Amino acid sequence: MDYIGKYPNKLGRFGDFGGIFAPEILMPALNELNEAYEKYINDPEFQNEFYNILKYYSGRPTPLYFASRLSEYIGCKVYLKREDLNHGGAHKINNVIGQALLAKKMGKKKLIAETGAGQHGFATAIAGAYFGMETKVFMGEVDIVRQSYNVYRMQLLGAEVIPVKSGSKTLKDAINEGLRYWIANVHDTHYLMGSVVGPHPYPMLVREFQRVIGKEIKQQILELENKLPNAIIACIGGGSNAIGAFYDFINEDNVKLIGVEAGGEGKNTNKHSIALGLGRRGVLHGAMQYLLQNEYGNILETHSISAGLDYPGVGPEHCYLSKINRLIVGDATDNETLNAFKKLSELEGIIPALESSHAIAYLIKNKDTFEKDDIIVINLSGSGSKDLSIVSDYIKFKINPKEIL
Amino acid sequence: MTYQNRLFKLLNSRKAEEKYFMPFFVAGDPNLDSFKEIVKIVEPYADIIEIGIPFSDPIADGPTIQEGNVRAFKAGINTIKALEAIKELRVFTEKPFIILTYYNILIQGSETIEQSIDITFENLKNSGIDGMVIADLPIEEAELVLNACEKYDLALIFLVAPSTTEERLEKIIKKARGFIYLISVMGVTGARESVDQITKDNIARIKKKTNKDLPVFVGFGISKPEHVKIIIDAGADGIIIGSAIVDIIKNNLNNFPSMKDKLVDFHLKIRNSIKERM
Repeated sequence: MDYIGKYPNKLGRFGDFGGIFAPEILMPALNELNEAYEKYINDPEFQNEFYNILKYYSGRPTPLYFASRLSEYIGCKVYLKREDLNHGGAHKINNVIGQALLAKKMGKKKLIAETGAGQHGFATAIAGAYFGMETKVFMGEVDIVRQSYNVYRMQLLGAEVIPVKSGSKTLKDAINEGLRYWIANVHDTHYLMGSVVGPHPYPMLVREFQRVIGKEIKQQILELENKLPNAIIACIGGGSNAIGAFYDFINEDNVKLIGVEAGGEGKNTNKHSIALGLGRRGVLHGAMQYLLQNEYGNILETHSISAGLDYPGVGPEHCYLSKINRLIVGDATDNETLNAFKKLSELEGIIPALESSHAIAYLIKNKDTFEKDDIIVINLSGSGSKDLSIVSDYIKFKINPKEIL
Repeated sequence: MTYQNRLFKLLNSRKAEEKYFMPFFVAGDPNLDSFKEIVKIVEPYADIIEIGIPFSDPIADGPTIQEGNVRAFKAGINTIKALEAIKELRVFTEKPFIILTYYNILIQGSETIEQSIDITFENLKNSGIDGMVIADLPIEEAELVLNACEKYDLALIFLVAPSTTEERLEKIIKKARGFIYLISVMGVTGARESVDQITKDNIARIKKKTNKDLPVFVGFGISKPEHVKIIIDAGADGIIIGSAIVDIIKNNLNNFPSMKDKLVDFHLKIRNSIKERM
């Protein structure tokens, strides 16, 4: 299909999704950001500076690794795009370097960000330190407790972590609080949105900074296999790693794009984050999107074992791609995810983030649907080091430091 | 021209020196019955009554209004119940009702956004509502709502902020009906201690661009009679007070008679400070 470069339109629309549903007080700042984006995104000097930071500071390009033991277990050829090997341990660095560089060009002095799993907050703290910008990270109290490792890391880098006590005390509320702070401090502060969500131009801007993932996959798989993959699988919360991996393949009709949402305790419970699969369209955080909401339009509390996917909405471009049937939507439960987390660790010596483990869980549970010669790329969006304290509550370890003394 | 819409009727007959008071309440805060009773007892002191339809994620609101929403939700509020309560209140007063809410609340009920808005706005009209403020609907996204407002004779009140550029201001003024809601500060809702110079400068800036047919009301942060005087003297036509009122509710949750006394007392003081400047 002919897709790339067509979306969003001037109003930030991907079909019926997206848009700019923001308070008037933020509109001038969003317009200013959009203008800066238009000015710099095709500027070779900016692109060069951006990519050089990713190359020398973060270690791009990340490897596309043929996972031979996993391939044997699944029964087809499985490649892992090693975004976990980025500086900071996740794909989030691509977006924060891009946005912080743009903010710097715009003359902004401070960065604020929301975070769920802490990966985006940590990445923003890295960018804050790298560019010498004062950084505040809004994080729900529930997430602070379940992602303590990242809370320490952010503070070590000099960022201020601001606990959010409102609502469900998770990612959605961290975004609310971040936006409120931005409303009052928009003159010198850039809101560094962590995913392809929020009002226009964020979904477009974050996608453009994450596209590097898919561009590399394309080049690498052609070098390794001399053909495109049959499918790319990525987890979707807001959806930044997924759109980054998918975007440059959207025009390639023979490449299946599979997004895996957080199934939590199961589709039939109300404890999940399956916004694409089970949501209804509505407006949250500035964009029209599929949302988990009640009949009155109030947002429901969601659940996932992975804080990074625990969000009631999903990026507007994914909504559109799903509506036009270009994106295949699946989900994986907490239990399936934990099994995948263990399986990849044992088979490949790679501990995946719980978020990324959803993509692996999908591959495992659908392994009979793939042919022997199929080439599947999994976007391994992050490392699981941050998740060990959660996982140790679920997985039975022979020696558990928590139980000694 | 004669108007059916109570807001248009009120403002159309205004003299240039007329000043208005629009207090704000969260529908269902602290519970539905108390909310209705509060609106009834303060009604004599208000010119227009603004009622918040609670939304789970109110990004333009500070802690006070957020907590008001939470109290209302805990007491069982939803959009349907809020509209029923407003309909009941309509029997007691002919003063205009303006609702404040977020876009997602208004686009429920049908498959398409257009149909949902149509159904909702018919309900608003039948509940005796005259207009609305939608905190997250900028002019770029307002077309469907403007069309429905035309159809059901409702006013879409636009917000203008200190950050609003001259170019945007002109666009907004072109589409605005009723009055302009000027956000006095760069920030979310919440009572503040003093009035900033920025507020006065912005009143002057916007008054210069508007004529008598489009009065300018000022809200966000106003909490005292002294603020009212400064803002009226700076040229504002109306005063909007929300958080200071919701704070009175919050601080007197255990004593409803005292809450009512304090609310009446506060409204009276504001009313008088407006009168003094007229």
